[in-house]
Amino acid sequence: MQSTINVAVMVKLEPDLSEGNVSYNPDGTLNRSQTRSILGPHSAIATRASFYSKVLYDANIKVCTMGPPMADIALRQALEICNADELHLYSDRAFAGADTLATAETIKAGIRKMGSIDLVIGGHRAVDGETGQTGPQVAWKLGFNFLGNVIDYSIDSANRIIHAERLIEIQGLYNILEEVECPLPALITIDPSYRERYNTVSQRLKYIKLQKEAMKKAENYKQYLKVWSAKELGVDTRSVGLPGSPTIVYKVEKVPRAKASRQTRIIDVSKDSELKELGMRLLEILNSK
Amino acid sequence: MEKYDVAIIGGGSAGLAALMELSKLGLQAVVLEGAKPVGSKSVTGGILYSKNYRNAKVYNVEEVYKNFLDDAPVERRITGYYLNAVSENKVYTVDLTDAHNYQTNFAYSVLMVRMNKWFAAQAEEEAQKNGGGIVSGVHVSDIVWENSKTIVQTDELEPIQVNAVVAADGVNSEAALMTGARKKFDVEALYQGVKSVIRLPEDIIDERYGLKEGEGVAHLFAGDISRGHNGGGFIYTNKETLSVGLVYHLDSLIKSPIEPYTLLDSFLTIPQVSNYIKDEVPFVKEFDRDLPKEEQLRMKFGISKLLKSWEELRYTYYSKTARRKAIESRLYKSEEELRHRLDETRKELEEKFRVSFVTNYVELEYSAKLVPDGKRALMDKPYKNNVLFVGDAAGRGVFVGTRIEGINIGIDDAARAARAIARAKEHNDYSEEYMGRYYGELINESPYTDDIRKIDFEYLKIFVNACKEIPTESLNLFLRLGFMLLQKATVQDFARAITKMLDQRTLLALIETNEAYVKIPMEVAEKIGRTVNPDYKIKPPSIDERIAKIRINDDPEPHIKILDPNSRFIKSMVQLCPTKCYIMEILDKERFKSEVVLQHEGCIECGTCSKETDWKHPKGEKGVTYEYG
Ligand SMILES: Cc1cc2nc3c(=O)[nH]c(=O)nc-3n(C[C@H](O)[C@H](O)[C@H](O)COP(=O)(O)OP(=O)(O)OC[C@H]3O[C@@H](n4cnc5c(N)ncnc54)[C@H](O)[C@@H]3O)c2cc1C
Ligand code: SF4
Repeated sequence: MQSTINVAVMVKLEPDLSEGNVSYNPDGTLNRSQTRSILGPHSAIATRASFYSKVLYDANIKVCTMGPPMADIALRQALEICNADELHLYSDRAFAGADTLATAETIKAGIRKMGSIDLVIGGHRAVDGETGQTGPQVAWKLGFNFLGNVIDYSIDSANRIIHAERLIEIQGLYNILEEVECPLPALITIDPSYRERYNTVSQRLKYIKLQKEAMKKAENYKQYLKVWSAKELGVDTRSVGLPGSPTIVYKVEKVPRAKASRQTRIIDVSKDSELKELGMRLLEILNSK
Repeated sequence: MEKYDVAIIGGGSAGLAALMELSKLGLQAVVLEGAKPVGSKSVTGGILYSKNYRNAKVYNVEEVYKNFLDDAPVERRITGYYLNAVSENKVYTVDLTDAHNYQTNFAYSVLMVRMNKWFAAQAEEEAQKNGGGIVSGVHVSDIVWENSKTIVQTDELEPIQVNAVVAADGVNSEAALMTGARKKFDVEALYQGVKSVIRLPEDIIDERYGLKEGEGVAHLFAGDISRGHNGGGFIYTNKETLSVGLVYHLDSLIKSPIEPYTLLDSFLTIPQVSNYIKDEVPFVKEFDRDLPKEEQLRMKFGISKLLKSWEELRYTYYSKTARRKAIESRLYKSEEELRHRLDETRKELEEKFRVSFVTNYVELEYSAKLVPDGKRALMDKPYKNNVLFVGDAAGRGVFVGTRIEGINIGIDDAARAARAIARAKEHNDYSEEYMGRYYGELINESPYTDDIRKIDFEYLKIFVNACKEIPTESLNLFLRLGFMLLQKATVQDFARAITKMLDQRTLLALIETNEAYVKIPMEVAEKIGRTVNPDYKIKPPSIDERIAKIRINDDPEPHIKILDPNSRFIKSMVQLCPTKCYIMEILDKERFKSEVVLQHEGCIECGTCSKETDWKHPKGEKGVTYEYG
């Protein structure tokens, strides 16, 4: 008999940076109050990847995030994607101002509270932090094996092994596919180019069924939600939040735009003179070759 | 390999009904459908009938889907049915409501894609109880028989093993070719249908067609609309749209090819039709080119935003339900306020942006599809091995003059196929001899099969009665004789005997002539028609604009192979392809040698060119997806 696989997914609430939604302050920094927050795009991919193990291995999925009370929106969205069984929100003033290390400390504590977890899935990185550190740090703190840039995985639950394909870079060569295996428990982060493969009719049918169920569950998502304070998690408040954060962001700079190396001119084709000029210029170029 | 009781190829109305019925009978069945979402490759006219045959059983839509009458997203209940004979701007209208109501419980106008979506949701729920369901975005590529196993292969998924297959893959059935159950249909056995869905506010439809809330009407057109081809046109009222289209005998079109969109355009511009579809639409003038670029851009954004809200306001104001909802949800205090906002927005468009309002119409979707002409396409043996053919795939449909029925027949076929398979399961015998033959018997018992094969005297009588005002001297000798016989009570028994004797094919060869489709209606209109004079001319969109609106995923691999670039048939495709996929290329100027080549694949899978091409549905999710159908 197959034993149930327990999966934890770590997600993050992020500003919606898609076109038309993002709002900036005059100095070029993000206007957070005007910009709506959503489940971050990499978190969404990680959540999709967790749904794969729900469809294929009937995994029990717990999604967690650290953030303010309103971060439960991200959990709700994640539930819609992966039909999660539980949602965990780590929310406490003590967690405020955390860098990646302090965040990892909170999440580690949260995952420990979940009981036995076989696989933790995280996003590639966050779009507002871009560091990609939280995943590996949580793995290190939990003492789990870590695999990054995963684009496909399968689980051998009897032998407690995860088999993964990861997209890596070797000596300047990009997009090399590496196949790896490691024992569970493990933490994997998902590459943005992840594409799930549902190859059989029964997988497709189950996918649809669970997806529908997820939409229903999401209407009542609070029923699946548990909010944890620092005390409930049992973390030392000196190792989380601002006090637990060794890094300090001391400056955010706008990256100057590269100078254009080509010049553009817009030709108004309704004007004969301009058209003629364009024709002459094209001829010139062709003749010079 | 995974195993299922039944694989259903195609998730149109017939395939979905098969899933529903099989699931009700406790079988584990899966629909494998190329389109995503399911049903979005289907096109219909379309009126969905529920029939009432006194002496025979039919499986009607409301029996297959028990909550149909309460929940289904039907458009309008058709309460009036008219045939319009047209010659230039003269029209003579025959009221065929009685003929239409003959043996009919009800008829609803439907938009096939929306309807299919609902069918799919119901069938899927039922199928899940037995572990079955619908998989969309997969293309069935083969059925093979290996060591007494039936294996269905797709381009996307691992093969599955099944006991039986329902082929519900439409008029261009690939299953038919895979199994060798039939050849591709001949041009004589097909019609080409082309259609546009036109938007019109609900209240305007009610008022223009003289309808009460929820009521609908069907208008057919014959005569001077076809540029001499055999076929006719239709307008069906939906809730907030009209389905307007034409259906022509493909052989007649091959004889003298003409672009389907040219036919559609000339239909839309005949006075009677443009009166029915006309609407008030905004006309945006070109910007002054000397204005600074930023100013032009600003104007563009301003106009599009305002146009959007004008449209929203208008469709809310003119729709009973939307109006009610908007007031209930306190979006507007009253109807007056809504009206006021609408007028204000319009004024702003006129004054600020110099937008004018003209008479034209709004086309939402252009589509085309072949229709099997049941009386010539009907498969005598709609089965092969353990594969049962239903609906268009089996060439079934009653398309006789003004009777156009395909959806209801496909649903009935599907219910019969499900019963044959359930019995086969009980006896564990899925052979052609046991299951196939039994299905054949069930199909033969279907009153539709009789309707496809024979003329129904009672229907004919009602039809002729409705036409009693028409002066018989405009008819040809044969038709005049027929009409007179049918109208004279004393010789009706004799007439009945003749219609019983003659099968459809013989009789229709006499009736389905250019004379009946074109000349007689024109003559009738000229002699006794009324004059319709519009004071405007509607301007249809160009074919390029139409194609641009259709959702076609680019498929980098060509999926159409021309078999003979020089055949007469393929040469006619240069004109007959509804989306201009072919061109004639001059190969040798001196000898004027030319060949047909595929210039692009804006293919909407209508199937018109299928006869002489290696024509496949594009793989998986690729290809056309209609929004209305
Ligand atoms: C212009 C027009 C007007 C009409 N008017 C009416 C009317 O008023 N009333 C009426 O009752 N009927 C009307 N009909 C006929 C009616 O629409 C059809 O009979 C009916 O829609 C056919 O349903 P079907 O399920 O058999 O086929 P379809 O709806 O064509 O479904 C076939 C399905 O199979 C899928 N498919 C095909 N090959 C494969 C494959 N290899 N693998 C996977 N999937 C595949 C297709 O994607 C498609 O979804 C009209 C038809 C047209 C075109
Ligand atoms: S190329 Fe496509 S759209 Fe054109 S006739 Fe053939 S099937 Fe129809």
